This record gives sequence, C-alpha cells and structure tokens, in this order.
Amino acid sequence: METMDGWVFIRLVHALRQVSLPISSQDILDAQTCLVRYPDIPCKQILKSLLIHRPQDAGIFETVWKIAVENAESPEMNDSLDATYKKNIEENRDSQGIGGQGAGRGSGGISLTAIGDILDHCHISKLIPFSRLEELASSGAEYEEVVKTVLADIDYYTWINSFDLAYQRGTLSEDEWYTHQNNRAFILREIQQQVVMIQVKLENSWKPLVQQHWLFKALSSLSEEEKELVKTSIRKWARKLALRPGSRWKSYNKGTIDIGRIVQQSVQWEGVLFHLCYRRKVPRAPELVVLCDVSNSMASFVEFLIHLVTCLRARFRKIRVFFFIDSVWDVSEFVWDDDLSGVKQEIKSWGHKASSGFSDYGAVFKELAENILREVSSRAILIILGDGKNNYRPAQPEYFAQISEKVRKVFWLNPLEVMEWSEPDNVMKVYQNNCSKVYRCRTASDLQRIVKDVF
Amino acid sequence: MKTSPLDLAHELEKEGYLIGEEAATTLFLALALEKPCLIEGPAGVGKTQLALALARAEKRRLIRLQCYEGLDISKALYDWNYAKQLLRLQLAKTEDWDEIKFDLYSEEFLLSRPLLEAILSPEPVLLLIDELDKSDEEFESFLLELLAEQQVSIPELGTLTSKTKPIVILTSNNSRDFSDALRRRCIHIYLTYPSLEREISILSSHAPELSRGLSKDVCEFVAKIRKLPLQKLPSVSETIDFARALNALQKAELNYGDLMGTLSVLLKYPKDVAKLEERLKKWETEALRS
Repeated sequence: METMDGWVFIRLVHALRQVSLPISSQDILDAQTCLVRYPDIPCKQILKSLLIHRPQDAGIFETVWKIAVENAESPEMNDSLDATYKKNIEENRDSQGIGGQGAGRGSGGISLTAIGDILDHCHISKLIPFSRLEELASSGAEYEEVVKTVLADIDYYTWINSFDLAYQRGTLSEDEWYTHQNNRAFILREIQQQVVMIQVKLENSWKPLVQQHWLFKALSSLSEEEKELVKTSIRKWARKLALRPGSRWKSYNKGTIDIGRIVQQSVQWEGVLFHLCYRRKVPRAPELVVLCDVSNSMASFVEFLIHLVTCLRARFRKIRVFFFIDSVWDVSEFVWDDDLSGVKQEIKSWGHKASSGFSDYGAVFKELAENILREVSSRAILIILGDGKNNYRPAQPEYFAQISEKVRKVFWLNPLEVMEWSEPDNVMKVYQNNCSKVYRCRTASDLQRIVKDVF
Repeated sequence: MKTSPLDLAHELEKEGYLIGEEAATTLFLALALEKPCLIEGPAGVGKTQLALALARAEKRRLIRLQCYEGLDISKALYDWNYAKQLLRLQLAKTEDWDEIKFDLYSEEFLLSRPLLEAILSPEPVLLLIDELDKSDEEFESFLLELLAEQQVSIPELGTLTSKTKPIVILTSNNSRDFSDALRRRCIHIYLTYPSLEREISILSSHAPELSRGLSKDVCEFVAKIRKLPLQKLPSVSETIDFARALNALQKAELNYGDLMGTLSVLLKYPKDVAKLEERLKKWETEALRS
C-alpha cells in the first residue's frame, strides 16, 4: 500500500500540462477519487490509466514520472550512480565486442562492446555517470549533440557496427538480431531520457522536455512512430481546411443546380424530372507548383511536404511537383502514392544518375525560368522547400525574379534556423526579397502554421 | 461489482478472456468511475472479444453498434416509423389535426436503434460501439453527449436519460485519430499483441485438444512473424486457426520446412505469404545449424 504526497501530485499534473498533455479538472477529480478509494492499486498505474488519453503520450508520462515523482522521492540516487560507475570502470578495462571490434579503451570507462547483448535493463542507467551527463548538458551543446557524445562515450556506435557486421556475415541468428534491435532501441531511449532529465534539472524548467514533443522536434530527427503522428496531424489539418467556411451564404455540398443539364437529361424520360444535376465545383486556387530540394540534408523534410500536398490535392485544379539538386525533374506522377515509396525510389535513382549531389539554386531557377515557366499559369502559387545552401555557386537572382514576377505568389519554406540563413554559402538573403513570404519549416508546429497561412 | 483489478481479471478469465494486469486495472477504474472505455490497438488483438467477455462477466445484455463510413443518427440512434405514421393518418381522417400531430411523434412511432435501445433499456446493458474510427467525424461529435451525460436529445421528444447506466465500450483500429473532446470523456486502453506466455495460455484455453509442444511452437513462430515488416500481422484468432490447421494435419510439432500451404491460414495477403516463405528457408538453415 502506498500513498501519494499531494505536493508531488500537483507537481506531476503541472509538468504533464507543461509538456502539452491535456489534463482536465475532471481527470484530476477522477484521479483523486481513485487514489483514495483504491489504496492497494499502485499510484502510478492509477494516474497513468486516468491521465493518459493517447497511446503515444505514455512515453512522455514515464519521463515526467521519473523526474517529478521518482527523483523527488530519492534525490540521493545520483550519487550512488556515480559510485557504481567508478566501480564498473575498473571491471571494464580492455574489453572486446562481438565482431572483434571495440578492443580496449585507452582511457578506461564502461563500454557496451564488453557487455555484448546481455543487457541488464535495470542497470543501463548506470552506464553513464551523473557527473558526466551534467558536464555535457551544461556545456551548452544541443540535445542531439549531447546524446551523440554520450553514445560515443559508451562505445554505442562500435557496438552497433559490430552487430551489423555479424548479422551481415550470417554469424548472428535472426532471433539474436531482433534481441539486439530491441536492446539498441532501449539504450537509445534510456540515454535520451537521461539527457532530458538532466537538462530539465539544470534549466529548472520543463522546456527541454517540451522540445522533445513531436510537434516541436526537428522533422529530420523524428522516430518512425512520431513521423506517423505528424502525418496523421497533417491529414487532420488538411481536413479542417477543406471545411473552412468561405462565403456568408453556405452553398449545398454538391454545388449549384445546373438547370440546362436537368432539362437536357429529362428528355430521356419524356420531360419528367428524375435527377437533379449540379455544376462541377471548380477549385478556387488554380495551380500549385511545388519545388523541393532533395539533396541529402533535405530528404526528411520533403517527405512531409509531399504528404501535405497529397492531402490538399482536392483544393487545386492542377498540382505540379518538381525535385531538384542541381537540375530539375518533374515527379508529379510519382507523388500520389500513400506510402511515398515511389517518390523515394525516384529520388534515389534520378539523384544518382543525373546529379552531382550538391545543390545549385542558380542553375535550377535558370532551368525553371527557361524551360518550365511558360507552362505555368500566372495565377499559380509556387512553394519552394530548400535550405538555400548553394555550395558557393552563383545565385543568378535574375531568373528567380523572373519566376516571381510570372506567378501569383512565391512561398519559401526553409528547415534551417533563421540565423543560419545568413551564413556565407546560403543564398536566402539574395532570394528573400522576391518571395511573398519566407517561413522557417523545421518542426511539425512550423508546418501547422504554414498550412494555416498558405493554404 | 468487482472489488479489484485482480477480481475482474479472474471473472474475465472464467469467460475465456485473459487480460494483462495493466489493462485490467484501467478497465476496472473505468467501471468504477462509470466512464466509457476506449480500447485501441491493431486488428485482431482482442478488443471486441474483451467487450463480449465483459458483458458475460457482468451479466449484462450486449447491444452492439458496428460503425462504418456514412453511419448517421437514423441508423445509430432513432428513426420515425413512417409507414406506421401513414397508417395512423389514414385511420384518423376525422380527428383533430393537433391531436394527431402530437400523437404521430410519440414513442409508439419511434424506432429505437442501438444507442437509444441502450439508453432506454430497463435492465443493465453493455453498449459496444465497435470500430468507431470507421465512422465520420460528425458522428464522433454526436456521441459526446451520450458519453459524458449518458443521455441523448431527440428534437421531437426532448432529452432522454439512461435509467440503468450502461457500460460503454468503444473500439478502434487507429485508422484515424479521434478528437481531444472524445478522448477526454473516455478512459483509454491500448491493447497490443499478447506476450508469448499469454498467447500460449490463450491458445490452450481456446483449443485444449492441442499438445503443449505444438501450442508453444506455434506461438513462438507467430511471435517471430510479428517482427517481420508485413502488411498485416497475424492476429490471435489467426494463431488459433493456424494451430488447429496443423493439428488437423496431424502435426505434433512445427517444422519450418513443412509449412507450405498452411501459411495462408495465418497471413491474408499473398505478398506477405511470399515474404514469409522466403524467410522460412533462412530460418530452416539457422535451425539446422544450431
């Protein structure tokens, strides 16, 4: 039987709300009722059952629980972790992993290559000492960087490479491979969680955890599950747009009645009116032209933009999609596949045979202006997705200006942070003046704003 | 009324449903708070079966509403019996119109659909709203009143409130996400495929004629298949069918090289079967090596 401190309960609810979990007053009342009425059921189970309304929120609940409840109950745990770490260092000198890699660590320390794949999940957290995490987190490095450094510290990359190698050689059975995959995911999750916990502690704010919410995370660093969440949300936003009220007088869903066609059809039945005919709806925006940079750094962002365009297909009379690196190719016919495998394949095969792999915006806009622009309507909207990194090639702004004059609007979506737009090899500053609007498009939250603004 | 999650799990076990500890606790709390329970998870993990077993365990009549695209109030809640109303009009030509008008929209001419039936039922019932994700968003919004207040509004009759508080279970295969408003009104359970041990127990209880060895082999095999990137992973009921099929073919144990022709019981897409057949060769070599 356990009871929960009221202050800890309030802290937990506050933290969950901070990280975007919707906790209503009714939820709190229900939780309190059950905590009092069923003291034999563990508090964590009661709260998880009553406060979590989506399966994807379970992970963030676990992290918040660890920080707000478990750490609050045993703050001295961190010291014991350091002690264990020191002991393990002595035990793990000069270790060797499964593929023959990872032999010895000059500096000493705990190496995953020494453990193999027999992981004790309860002790993973002891792999990295609290003081080291604190040192990395307070160095001012980005979250992703800290995680990478921690993983390198424990020889994670050597460890996964040795297993990849063993699997490719056929010395690892499929069962062992799957076990390894699970362990790999577990370690990564655990390290990420620890880094967030340290950051929350150091900053004394829930902001680092909020940034790990899929809505605010960089689209390029999303897990497969999170990617699905973003895509589901994009579908939702697109549906909402389709329902956006346009005029004061609501017209019937099917459109307006076409009297001419009704009379024409009634001739078949000797003038008796059997069917009502409606005029075909003509989308308000006539043409959308999407231009995506698909060089390596951009691939993950392209996937979401294409998904968004697919969801909004019905709103445009014509949609044309072009990919580019240093020249342009038309992929309009490949992008309507739901799983986007056609698009990915197209990027791979075309990118290899017809591109140097380095973006050249000047050349791309020149090609667009000279060969494609004449087929584009003057009422078209042009959306460009690109980071603006031109690899020190000439920007040739006159062609972009020409394009900008021809179409109705030009929107540029850039996944880089705004301050990176003015770096020496970035041409955003050259093109920016000819755009109707430029957006940072780094996270799902940015994408949501763009959907509202642009479409 | 069950007194603990364990008690509930025992009752469900008696009805042939083995539930995990976490799911049992959540379901128990939903029943205790008299709140609707939203069960999500991939197809074939036993969401509907859980509702059916719960109805038996709670000794309640089951009222089921199967959702589909285009489902509307006239099919889910109520409709007026137009034929009967016409007959009434024909029989009462001489009567006063105001009287007839009032009479025409009385409960006598009301056709109760599953939701109304659950609200008006004099005895306790379990209302299963199955595969809600298949219905439209308008229908989802319509359900909010029923889920929160256990009442429905019919313009001609007013608000009808439930007399016996039905247990409401909603299921979803996640083909679309629900609104926050609906989620907030429900207690949420996410069911996944059972663990190896639980699946062996489920198989043994549903097909007691199987040998222990075959049950274990089949469940291990299915667990292995569920790790493959297939279009549709085998469900628990398909595991049971597959084990029964092997038993019918007099197999005492599962051999990778001996499964051709039986895989279609387990997998429903030819592409998946082909993928598995390819893997089987690899697994067979691995098994021989070890």
